[in-house]
Amino acid sequence: MSVGGAAGGAPSAYEPQKIRIYGLAGSIVGLYLGAILNSALNTEVFSFIGAVAAIFAVVMGANSVRRICAYGIGTGVPSIGMLALGMGIIAVMFGLSLAETVGFGLAGPIITLIYAGIFGYIIGVIANKVIKFNIPVMEEGNADLSMAGALAILGWSFAVSGTLGYDSIVNDVLMTGYIAIIFIAGGLAILHPFNANLGPDEKQDRTLVNAIMVGGTGHDRHGNWCLADPGPGYRTSADSHRLCHMVLLLQDVL
Amino acid sequence: MMFDETTIIYILEIIVGGLLVGVGVHFVPVGGAPAAMAQATGIGTGTVQLAAGSGLTGLLAAGLMMSVTDNIWLVLASGAVGAGIMVGSTMLTGSWIYAYAVGVPFASAKVTYDPITGFSQPPYIAPGTVGHGIPTVCYVSGLIGGMMGGLGGAMIYYALYLINGNAALSAMFAIGIFLVNAVIASWNIQGTIEGFHDPKFKKWPFAFRACLIASALLALASVFITGGA
Repeated sequence: MSVGGAAGGAPSAYEPQKIRIYGLAGSIVGLYLGAILNSALNTEVFSFIGAVAAIFAVVMGANSVRRICAYGIGTGVPSIGMLALGMGIIAVMFGLSLAETVGFGLAGPIITLIYAGIFGYIIGVIANKVIKFNIPVMEEGNADLSMAGALAILGWSFAVSGTLGYDSIVNDVLMTGYIAIIFIAGGLAILHPFNANLGPDEKQDRTLVNAIMVGGTGHDRHGNWCLADPGPGYRTSADSHRLCHMVLLLQDVL
Repeated sequence: MMFDETTIIYILEIIVGGLLVGVGVHFVPVGGAPAAMAQATGIGTGTVQLAAGSGLTGLLAAGLMMSVTDNIWLVLASGAVGAGIMVGSTMLTGSWIYAYAVGVPFASAKVTYDPITGFSQPPYIAPGTVGHGIPTVCYVSGLIGGMMGGLGGAMIYYALYLINGNAALSAMFAIGIFLVNAVIASWNIQGTIEGFHDPKFKKWPFAFRACLIASALLALASVFITGGA
């Protein structure tokens, strides 16, 4: 049962450990940088850093989707992207809410990350032990996915609300319905790269550049859009371009 | 949040809701990509798409009822009926396309006789395929599955709404719990299933156990969530 003929682990130029470090460090540093700059200078213009931070998380997530789905999971790549965001949204709400309850709002992303990592790892263990998948990278792959989904949602939520406070994220992101766009844009950014590129000639760099592209459709509170262009020399699939434009258009309409 | 009796009841409601979603997925005739080409029995899309579609409709229906009354039975019934209608209409319109556009007779490859109508199945299966369309037994099974999913989603939403009192937050959180359970269950059936008559249906205890662990963790996290200002 293999998708695209790459069973037994996909060959990769970048080690997953390295991508995990870059993804986690990049998005956490980005989130805190944006939050501290915003509060120190009493402004909201640095909110866009949250959207950039989300791209780091998305690349990490896309890489772990690539690792897991190279074994073939039988249900299609989209299912695992939705799982990532499902785990992520719960971790974000839990982390931010708990940080607010204990009175230290800035700890939100760290609590989110810890809960997401543990929960993702347990889901991986369940998949291997109870459902009997026997995919060697399932545990760490799912932990990565869960953390990536959580950080992507957190990054984009921060880009919309401008603070890491639970109340303002609930009011600015959840109550306004932006969360639906964030949810599906984040899901697409994580699941789409491997889904579009899988096949015998799938290459890690192409998949990850596609992730940067789709993940680049972030936005700040004032409705400015940033779209990362992969640059020449990379063959990205035509429908990812379409997807970017669709997401962009959809967000512009809103 | 103190762990008093009401909190434990909320946790139990969320766990039962997650289990209903997980088991409900096993009833829905998911055909995947082969069914989209009319080469396998069932609806031609993935489990998660079907579960999300019916679950979100169930949540909307439950939320609408919740805005009028907080009677748990009415909310649950509304969620179940909403999700059932969604899956039912998906299967009905899908059947029209299979019957009138693709032009295949509805036949299941997993049973010799349809358990509900008693019609013989093998003569109608085209060579090289494993059934096509949505036979009566799959339709009935799908309706049961959709209603179970909607019931589970509504139960999760109801408990969350009573915990934090914020409809938007509860809905997103319920979607998260719903997706996690639906994906775990769809991994258990390896992507495709015909319904309760399918031999794969006997694997449901695995999904039950997996969803029990996952839902318990999610429920414990969800009682700490406050509604915000």
